[in-house]
Amino acid sequence: MSEMVALLFFPGGLFLLASGLAYEWADRKLVARLQNRIGPRWFQPLADAVKLLAKEEVIPNGVNRFLFVGLPVVALAGALTAAVYVPIGGLNPISSFPGDLIVALYMLSLLTLCTGLAGSNTTDPFSLIGATRTLTQLFSYEVPFLLALLGPALAAGSWQIVQINDFAQNHWMMLFTQPIGFVVALIGLMGKLELPPFNAPEAETEIVAGALTEYSGRGLALFHFGRNVELVVGLTMVAAFYLGGIASPLEFFGKTMFLLLGLSFVQSLMTRLRIDQTVGLWWRYGALLVLAQWLLLILSGGVV
Amino acid sequence: MAATGEKFIIPIGPQHPALKEPGHFEFVVDGEIVTAASVRLGYVHRGIEKAVESRNWIQNLYLLERICGICSHTHAMAYCLGVEKLAGVTAPPRAAAIRSLIAELERIHSHLLWLGVAAHEAGFDTLFMYSWRDRETVMDILEELTGNRVNYSANLLGGVKFNINSEQRDSIRRGLDFLEKRSRYYLDVVTSDFVFLQRTQGIGVTTLEQAERLGLVGPTARASNVARDIRIDAPYAGYGDFPVNIVLGTAGDLEARFVVRIKELFECYRLILQILDALPPGDLQARVPRRIAAGETISRVEAPRGELFYFIKSNGTDTPERIKVRTPTMCNLASVVALAVGHQLADIPMILIGVDPCFSCNDRAVIVEKGNDRDCWTWERVRQYGIEYYRRKQ
Repeated sequence: MSEMVALLFFPGGLFLLASGLAYEWADRKLVARLQNRIGPRWFQPLADAVKLLAKEEVIPNGVNRFLFVGLPVVALAGALTAAVYVPIGGLNPISSFPGDLIVALYMLSLLTLCTGLAGSNTTDPFSLIGATRTLTQLFSYEVPFLLALLGPALAAGSWQIVQINDFAQNHWMMLFTQPIGFVVALIGLMGKLELPPFNAPEAETEIVAGALTEYSGRGLALFHFGRNVELVVGLTMVAAFYLGGIASPLEFFGKTMFLLLGLSFVQSLMTRLRIDQTVGLWWRYGALLVLAQWLLLILSGGVV
Repeated sequence: MAATGEKFIIPIGPQHPALKEPGHFEFVVDGEIVTAASVRLGYVHRGIEKAVESRNWIQNLYLLERICGICSHTHAMAYCLGVEKLAGVTAPPRAAAIRSLIAELERIHSHLLWLGVAAHEAGFDTLFMYSWRDRETVMDILEELTGNRVNYSANLLGGVKFNINSEQRDSIRRGLDFLEKRSRYYLDVVTSDFVFLQRTQGIGVTTLEQAERLGLVGPTARASNVARDIRIDAPYAGYGDFPVNIVLGTAGDLEARFVVRIKELFECYRLILQILDALPPGDLQARVPRRIAAGETISRVEAPRGELFYFIKSNGTDTPERIKVRTPTMCNLASVVALAVGHQLADIPMILIGVDPCFSCNDRAVIVEKGNDRDCWTWERVRQYGIEYYRRKQ
């Protein structure tokens, strides 16, 4: 019974959706203030979600209806499942087993994969170009992001998120011993969430809304929910690994908000990168730097 | 993706987030690379040129000012200068200076607007928000001077409508002081922001030869080192007494267009202060007869986007016989189609906005008939064509 409550209401399920909306609002508000705008009111993301859920879902001609309806569900389910293994709200994860880090990371990639498939499922040129870019971006940030999150795992000697979190609480210096990993993980999260400057897959001045151009109503709302949940899960993971772990709800809130502030600074400071520039950035710098850091870690680990 | 041999076309417009006004562009892409481009205009044709023929000379002042929402003053000024030339009247020096003053204020507002839109196309929304915030300063000045933010109605046939008092002079100086500081900052941003430069440097390069061949005008041409500025080539209004220094760029890429436009802002500030310091005394309006003597003339002014051309023909009555307008966008649009090929899809909105297009002032009836030399349609014929066109569509 208590497991059901944990999965459906707190700290999973509804709580995750609500905190996703809250973090989306915080992100939008911070970026707006940095851009000298007023920004949305606190209930705006909720209002958007309710409106979208209530609207008619138009299914365009020429799509596979099963995929069109099913992909948003899978995307949201993937993000929610990833949260099961992560210390959301500073509490113990609902489930945990050795190696759950890899499962969580793959679950997080499901959203991007579903977005890409959803785009290529339609016949709209904007969606097709958007899907190509989404998948191209997936292949560019995924490896550096994975390597960056495996850095602390290597230091902790465990691929279990709880144990890395515990280890990080006693090793505050992870941020300073693996600064490259921290930056790559944070920027990788931005690439995952297609936040500016990595929003080429949905660059509105070129391809309208990218892969999700044909989505309306329920499907779009579910994709938005998925992205919001992924924002919370991603921030929690980076905070747990690099900012000295998460032991209490207060620590969770403070540390993830600190990261979100960093994200909004980068979002408002940068011009959108072209897709070729994004790929170049990740493979030429991101991946190589993280690998260099790995080498250092392994060498120093061998010595110690 | 589309099968091999099949064209994959990205339509931009008539309704598209990159376009603030409706126009239609088709870009054939191979992956991310554009291989062909075409343009179709005419979505916002409003029949203004025909409408002026049924209104008198004074009413047309208000109609023509509404051709463009950004460079409204230059349209009215070009019209007034032409009509005054036909009537053999010259506006008093104070009126001429005030005309130039408003034109320069308008150029500031137009260039700042462009800076914001161009930054938005590049996905740099912070610069967009900041430059539009600062643009409010010049909008407020214009409102204080004329009572309006957009269509200022500053011109009258033979002069201008309002004077400038010392209080207004002070507030203009204060506003320009602030804007000059901000423009220095923007110049710094567009020339030193590493990520932004990746999107502008070497993109959409127009060589001097290309610019000459395509007949580019305005800042777009000046960024390619074409020394073409009507304010200098054929001074009008107050530009004879208050000369402008030309601003040229050499690279011809998007960065040069940013730099040229921002540097022109400094030239605007300098010129406005100079006009304010030495505003000639005297009347604001010369008398212009209600009926304009028969004849035809052209008048050219430098709008913020480039050369604005008016052809005016009078038949001696109180209404014009024909007025033909050629806006700078018409001259510059060809460069978009020519430059787009070979660029990445992501650069296209930037290249398009790089010429500062203004579709609604651009759109008028263009009839191309091969093998038929009749190029002037009567009203009856246009009406008949319209009826048949829609009948065919049904």
